[in-house]
Amino acid sequence: MSLADLPLHDMQRAASLDALCGIVAERHARGEATVLLAGGTDWVVEQELKPPRGDADPRPLVVDVSCMAELRGITATRGLLRIGAAATYLEIRRHPTVIERAPMLAAMARELGAIQIQARGTLGGNLATASPAADGVAALAAYDASIVVKSVRGERRIPFSALQTGYKQSTRAPDEVIVAVEIALPPEGSPWLWRKVGTRRAQAISKVALAGIAVRSEDRVVRLGLGMASVAPITATLLQTRALVLSRPLSAITADALDAAVLSDIAPIDDVRSTREYRKHAAKAVVRGFLRDLGAPV
Amino acid sequence: MTTAAQNASSARPPFIGTNVPRTDGASKVTGRAAYVDDLPREPGELFGATVRSPVPRARLRGITLDPAFDWSDVTVVRASDLAVNEVQCITAEQPILAADQIRHAYEPVVLLACADKRKLAQAVRAVKLDLEPLTPILDPEQSLAKVDVIWGEDNVHKRFSITKGRADLPDPAASAAAIEAAIASSEVVVRGRYTTHHQEQLYIEPQGVIARWDEKGVHVTGSLQCPYYVHKALVHGFDLAADRVHVTQAVTGGGFGGKEEYPSVIALHAALLAQKSGKPVRMIYDRKEDIEATTKRHPAICEIVSGCDRDGTLRALSIRILMDGGAYMTLTPVVLSRGALHAAGVYRWDDVRIDAVAVATNTPPNGAFRGFGAPQTIWAIERHLDRVAQELGRDPMDLKAQNMLREGDTTATGQTLRGSVGVAECLEKALTASGYHDKRKAPPAVRGRVARGIGASVFMHGAGFTGSGEKHLKGRVAVDLLPGGRLRIRTASTDIGQGTETVFRQIAADATGLHLADIDFAVPSTSYVPDSGPTVASRTVMVVGGIVERAAREVAARVRAEQETSGGDFAAAADRLLTKEREVTALVQYEHPGWVTWDDSTYKGDAYPVYGYACDVAEVEVDLDTLEVTVTGFWSATDVGKAIHPVMCKGQIEGGSLQAIGWALWEDVVWKNGLIQNPRMTNYIIPTALDAPPMHVDLVEAPYAYGPGGGAKGVGELPMDGGAPAIAAAVEHATGLFARDLPLLPERLLELQTNRKG
Repeated sequence: MSLADLPLHDMQRAASLDALCGIVAERHARGEATVLLAGGTDWVVEQELKPPRGDADPRPLVVDVSCMAELRGITATRGLLRIGAAATYLEIRRHPTVIERAPMLAAMARELGAIQIQARGTLGGNLATASPAADGVAALAAYDASIVVKSVRGERRIPFSALQTGYKQSTRAPDEVIVAVEIALPPEGSPWLWRKVGTRRAQAISKVALAGIAVRSEDRVVRLGLGMASVAPITATLLQTRALVLSRPLSAITADALDAAVLSDIAPIDDVRSTREYRKHAAKAVVRGFLRDLGAPV
Repeated sequence: MTTAAQNASSARPPFIGTNVPRTDGASKVTGRAAYVDDLPREPGELFGATVRSPVPRARLRGITLDPAFDWSDVTVVRASDLAVNEVQCITAEQPILAADQIRHAYEPVVLLACADKRKLAQAVRAVKLDLEPLTPILDPEQSLAKVDVIWGEDNVHKRFSITKGRADLPDPAASAAAIEAAIASSEVVVRGRYTTHHQEQLYIEPQGVIARWDEKGVHVTGSLQCPYYVHKALVHGFDLAADRVHVTQAVTGGGFGGKEEYPSVIALHAALLAQKSGKPVRMIYDRKEDIEATTKRHPAICEIVSGCDRDGTLRALSIRILMDGGAYMTLTPVVLSRGALHAAGVYRWDDVRIDAVAVATNTPPNGAFRGFGAPQTIWAIERHLDRVAQELGRDPMDLKAQNMLREGDTTATGQTLRGSVGVAECLEKALTASGYHDKRKAPPAVRGRVARGIGASVFMHGAGFTGSGEKHLKGRVAVDLLPGGRLRIRTASTDIGQGTETVFRQIAADATGLHLADIDFAVPSTSYVPDSGPTVASRTVMVVGGIVERAAREVAARVRAEQETSGGDFAAAADRLLTKEREVTALVQYEHPGWVTWDDSTYKGDAYPVYGYACDVAEVEVDLDTLEVTVTGFWSATDVGKAIHPVMCKGQIEGGSLQAIGWALWEDVVWKNGLIQNPRMTNYIIPTALDAPPMHVDLVEAPYAYGPGGGAKGVGELPMDGGAPAIAAAVEHATGLFARDLPLLPERLLELQTNRKG
């Protein structure tokens, strides 16, 4: 209904990242929000669901950041992969370094939405809207990525583990712009898993999705990253499960212990896509599947 | 010589049976086709919107227009403004606007129109409904138990009974006792309860109409299947003479039954706003409003008790069908009837009693949807026979083949099948092509954490209207002779994407010897096409196509007679004839085969003049960890009588099968307190191309002596019937989980698995 309200928004682009930070800060100081629009794959849909705006309502400012050079591009230097907040999923899945060194990220991007969504959607947008169902964010959780944010006060990095505080809540200040994500690349050939349990094979929001990345040394996992979508108010990082796996040889991990750890790490709910019981079942099953691939007898 | 003349004078190979290009194809793929919302704005045109009830049941105490809002340029229509507040369907029990009672969520209460779309959206929110909520009845079993009365005297929209053999007694109690006794005396008795759920048509183009009034009366153009249904509703709603109502079909993006009866509602709404405002009004639903407010497939509960011999011969059958009609009756009696008539499946039974009842609930009215009640009952009987086979230790398809109807056998209504029974060939072809028997004999293949299984179903679907329907309807088609020896078909049968235009041209061309390009298809408008009956019930090709054939032949014969007396080619003779007679038109009416007899009071006789038959086979992979089901292959052998256009015919079968697969595995309207939780394409899950299996369709042609083009039967609905039971059988083969309830969501399979372990 209220897509008809789009003309009631002020739309603009900023000349530079610094100028953008200035606009956001200035408006924030006045108590006004600024919408940063990248792909719009969440935001435009949300507008449609909102009640129509009254004529007296303040005009929201929407800044299109999809073309901002500082927010774009994918680079890899000395084992650090940096993905601009406004790089699209299509760019991510097609990038040679991503394909070679972060194949789980590429696999995730391939299964996300439809190709049209992939051509517009961005990691920055996924982080900003902060849905616990976001596949891209689950992948970042598994990589223990850092989020680069910038404001008029300067630039800082938020480790993923310190990012999310509650349902759609984060430690990013309201005037901080998401610039990029940085991933410390695991050694080449590290085992990984992207397993999406969606409502169908494509164009599906996850019922449960598991991102996993491991570094194995003989019978042990020495580094483990896990991220799970749609099983808690925030993207689940499965810390108990990680601790369990890192604490003992793969051969000593039992299915029961693993299941118990997974259940302690998640807090799924019934919703329109699935049920709490099914999510618990599927979460356990996909984690077991990953550990089985790694060599655990589960 | 003109093309028409050349083709008329020289023999050419037939068009029927060939895959000519669709005549509407180019305009659709290039975007030139104008759907209703593409039609140019008319001067002064307003947009229309609907204020709907947010609760499923309430007393409507009042309506307040927010005094702070500027209503000066907004047209408002309430129930109190209406002279007639009835939507004419089978009866006129549904109000156009709720007056004092709210009977379902999203029920229309107030209509608004405004030139400014944004202001219109605000106006919708500025209407305050004073509602006193009442406890809704949302469960059909509670409705049947009369926990509260919400419709009529007892909530019952309709009841039917079908009896045969020893149960064929006039007294219902005696009949029920007789079937019980017949079953009890059988060697093997099996009981089961099988349920199905709502399904949304999800046509690609939402509902929409444009209405305007002038000195000729009311004009409505819209996305619709049945122009004369809308015509009838407008005549009744405005108390107008028939010739003052003009309903025209715009290019229509799919219907699947969803644009059978509902367009009457939106047409009345737009016409009311247009009448009050004196301006044209455009009403186009968005997806959310469309999913919430318009009709869906009736959910059904079927309880079956059957008796058979130890050798598998089926003997006695008792079925109780309960359908959820939703808040108003609308077309429910007809859906229930078709459901009941297909409930015994494609099998011989000696003794039968089928009791079908549909009741009201406080949910939006359920309505027409491809299959029209049959997919619900065929799900039940197919699953039930799978259970019987389990009990007997037999392969289900062997058991089914043993009991399938043959020519000369009688159905549950006592109809003797008089030919065109291609079911055995369908079964043979589909099972062979899919390698069913070898795959069933081998133990379920488990590879890693994935189990593979195969399952099948066999079924029939009556073509055309039930019983005496076609006889009463007397569908008519006109074919006009045009200058140059061309023909124009005038029919109310609409092309909603299924290819009517093209197929009718093929039939008319072959009936006359003319070329396809010489046959025009008039835009269906009640102002100049006769009432051919609605575009429903798998009747378009078989029934209306037959009338087209006869009408075209009649016109061509008159031209040829002129040719014989005065010479010249076809075109010249046509022009001479037109000069002489000014108008050369054949207006032909449907003639039911004389042998068809049907008794509506006893539900006995020839329920349909003929049936289409099919056997579906599904092969699935089930992820044993997550219980996700992937259909890896789908085979259907379908007896269509005669395929006029094999590619489009197969297209109907592939599309219908995919719709059945969607219903079986994913599609699920999620309800909470009478409200729909997933009215969007992101969360009402239909299959994507990646979810669609490779399809292998075999056309079987057991011609129907009265069908056009050499024996065509209906095909539109049949492919919706068998997909779900075939998939359930395949899932059972793969996992051992026997599903009785649709849809087979992983969540549901997990429950089955947990209960089995428990």
